Parts: sequence; C-alpha cells; structure tokens
Amino acid sequence: MSTSNVPDSTQDFDFLGLLLAGTSGILIIVALGMAFLYAPRELTMGDVQRIFYFHVASAWVGFFGFFITFLAGIAYLIGGRRSWDILGLSSVEVGLQFITMTVVTGMLWAKPVWGTYWSWEPRLTISAVQLLIYVAYSMLRASITSPERQARFSAVYGIVAFVTVPLSWFAIRWWRTIHPDILTGGEAMAITPRMVQTLVASIAAFTVLYGTLLRQRMRLERASDALTRLRLKMERRSLLSS
Amino acid sequence: MSVYLVAAYAVFWALTSIFILSLWARQRRIERDIEALKQHLERGSPKNA
Amino acid sequence: MSFVSKVLAIVCKDLSAELHTKEVISAMLVFSTLTLLIFSFALDLRGAMAEAAAPGVLWTTIAFAGTLGLSRSMAREEQSGCIDGLLLAPVDRTAIFFGKTLGNLVFMALVEVALLPLFSVFFDVPLVRPQVLLVLALGTVGYGAVGTLLAAIAVNTRAREVMLPVLLLPLAVPVLIAAVQATSGLVEGATLSEVGGWTRILVVYDLVIVAVSLLTFGFVVED
Repeated sequence: MSTSNVPDSTQDFDFLGLLLAGTSGILIIVALGMAFLYAPRELTMGDVQRIFYFHVASAWVGFFGFFITFLAGIAYLIGGRRSWDILGLSSVEVGLQFITMTVVTGMLWAKPVWGTYWSWEPRLTISAVQLLIYVAYSMLRASITSPERQARFSAVYGIVAFVTVPLSWFAIRWWRTIHPDILTGGEAMAITPRMVQTLVASIAAFTVLYGTLLRQRMRLERASDALTRLRLKMERRSLLSS
Repeated sequence: MSVYLVAAYAVFWALTSIFILSLWARQRRIERDIEALKQHLERGSPKNA
Repeated sequence: MSFVSKVLAIVCKDLSAELHTKEVISAMLVFSTLTLLIFSFALDLRGAMAEAAAPGVLWTTIAFAGTLGLSRSMAREEQSGCIDGLLLAPVDRTAIFFGKTLGNLVFMALVEVALLPLFSVFFDVPLVRPQVLLVLALGTVGYGAVGTLLAAIAVNTRAREVMLPVLLLPLAVPVLIAAVQATSGLVEGATLSEVGGWTRILVVYDLVIVAVSLLTFGFVVED
C-alpha cells in the first residue's frame, strides 16, 4: 500500500525556513547591539528608555500579523483553500506572542518612567485591545468543532475585527489628546537619528522573526493535517477489512 | 542598569524561547505519530476495531 | 417580492414573535435597570460623581443589555429553524442581514427610549434631548450591525451565546469611546458641532462596519 500521496514534511529539508531562522538570529543580535551600544542614553528617562525599541517593534509586528490574518481571511472566503486558513491561524498565534510582548514591555516601561504599571497611553491601550481580539479569535476557533466552519467563521471574524482596529486607534488617540493623563502626559522623549536607526533595525529584526515563527507554525499545522489524513486512511482501511 | 530594562528584554527572550520550544515539541510529537501510522499502513495490518 | 418588502417581512416576523412573549425586551429592560442600580451602589454615584459617570454607565448598560438581546434574538432564530427556512426560500443573504439587524435595532431602540428618562432621573442629567438621541442612534446602529453578524457566528459555537460578548466588545471599542465622549460633551452643554469629531467617528464606524458585515454575512449563514 503506497503512502506516497501523504506529503512528507518530516524529510523535506526546509531551506527557506533555515534561511529565515538564520537571518532573524543575526538581525536580532544586531538590533540588540544597537539598542544597548549604538543608541544614546536618553536625556530624561535614562537607560530604561531602551525598552522602547523592542516595545515599538513588537507593537508593529503584532499589528502586521493581524493585517496578514485579515488578508488571509479574505483569500479564504474567496478561494476556500485550506492554505489560507492555515496562514490566518498561524499569524494569529505568532502575532499573539508579539502583542503580549508589547503589553508586558509597555508596562515594564511605564512603571519606572511614570510610577504606575498601567497608563492609558494610546499605543499600550490599542495593544491591549488587539490582545483581546487575538484571544477572542483563538477562543472562537477552539469553540467550533467542524473544521470547515472553523475556517469560515474565523476568516469572517478576522476581517471584521481588523477593520475596527484603525478606528479604535483614532478614537483612543483622540480620547487621550482631549483628556491627557495628568500622571503620564505626552511622550516626552528626545529623539536622535541614532535612535531612529536602532528602531528601524529592531522593526526589521522582529519582522523577519515573525516570518520565521510563522513558517514554523504553518509547517506544524500542515503536519497536523497530514496526520489527520493518515488517521482517516487507517479508519477506512479497518472499516473495509472488517 | 535598570531592573525594568533587564526584565523587559528577559520577557522577550522568555516568550520567544517558550514559543519556539512549544512549536518544536508539537512538531516532534506529530512527526512521531505520522511515522507510527505510516508503519502500520505499510504493514497492511488494520488496527483492531 | 422586492428587496425592501423581503426585509420588512423579516422585521415583522421578528417583531410579532417578540410581541407575543415580550421576553427579550422585558429581560433587557430589567437587566438594564439592575445594571444601573449595581453601578450606583458599586461606584457610590452621588452628586458630581453621578453626573460625570452617567454617560459611561449609560453606554455600558446599553452594551451589555445589547448582547443579551442580540444573543436571544439569534438563538430564537436558530431554535425555530427559521434561518434554514429563509435560506431555502429565494431570499437574498443581504435581505436577511438587513432584516435581522433592523429587528435587533428596533429592540435596542425600544429599550434605550425607556432607559433615557430613567437615567436622566437617577443621575440628574439632561439626557432626553435630540442631540443625545442622535448619538444614541449612531452608536446603536454600528453596535447592532456588527452584533447581529457576530451573534450569527456565536450561535454556532459550543459556548453559544456566551461567546458573543467576547467577540463583540473588543470590536465595539470605537463606538464606546466615541459615544461616551460625545454624550459627555453634550451633557456638559456642548453643541452638536463641538462634539462633531466624535460623531464623525461613529458615522465612519457605522458605514464601514455595515459594509463589512453585509459582505461577510452570507459566508456565516451558508451551510
């Protein structure tokens, strides 16, 4: 009995995956180096300000991951191919890591700078909202048994949810402008070109890292699909022979 | 160096490592199951119903 | 049957079903009143505090009572097998969406119309004004539209109605912020144009969310 029609994810050597992993490793080390050695010490906040680079970079990736899920959802609804669903759910899982990082680093930055772990600072607030949306997406998937419905409903939710994020961003921004936090005020950071370069490096590093993790997660899901197909094959075989 | 600075970067490493490890562990488990099932099918012996 | 008459037919079906039992509206009203009481006790809302808190408590109440109504209305649809019947009949998906949403909006509107005087009295704030009603309408339309879409999804999950608040509330953040700020401003004496920024956000939200919900609703109810 031939099992050759089952994609052999265990034996194919993943060149692209390895390339991505290697590149992210290098870029992260570069970004870390820049954050600690190249970027200057900030005037008012001191060294704590260096959290900023990874905080903003993970915020960007968190949002970007959501955007990918949005696109994947549209593609799935149009074409119906499982690959798009895999992309969507993987991007959510990876994005969730990054957005969690954003919220935690944001809180660890807020405490020494403003004395309180939480501030209703726009970026932190919108990250918290996105975190909750990611969690809701995961809970929705977990709560549906049929795989086809899972894919369809999460595609719809991903699309509708993403569309509200820019609107939430504007609403939160404006809310904070009209009612500035007396404690935290605005963002008072003296920005130099070196800081901008470090920030760009961090964003690039995190984006490639996102790509690496995304690829691995998608690989995992495809392997899981292969396993399910094998199981079905087993069941059919035992049904036929009994 | 601020405690918070260290903690923030530690969180980055912790989250990334845990996620990568979890992916790796899940992948290993699935690949093991796939191998086991493939061997079953090649032997041609169905599991007892 | 023209598109409009199909939509109206669905709305009438919902309204007459509700008129018999009045279960959804009465549940929403009682829940809202209880919410009002609990907020008042929990936050010790008196005097100036009450005035400041009124818009927030109002919209929180609407949001929570809304999830009640949306869940119940969609669950009833699923229980009676109505949705399947509608899908078999030659009714356009968009007509079903408009019909269901309008029905839900009517329920929410009825509850809100009862709530406004109640809140005005309890918090001693002038809420029964046309400008506040406009903000109420704008916010409710967006919330109800996306709520109807998400309720259709939620009803098909293992957790069923419990899933709806989890799905809906993070998406309602723009409405909640804008509506509360607009209502706050109006209550403090601002004119409608002064809170225009907030009402613009509500309008944009409504347009975008209704469009997206319309486009995707068909994918939710297909089988």
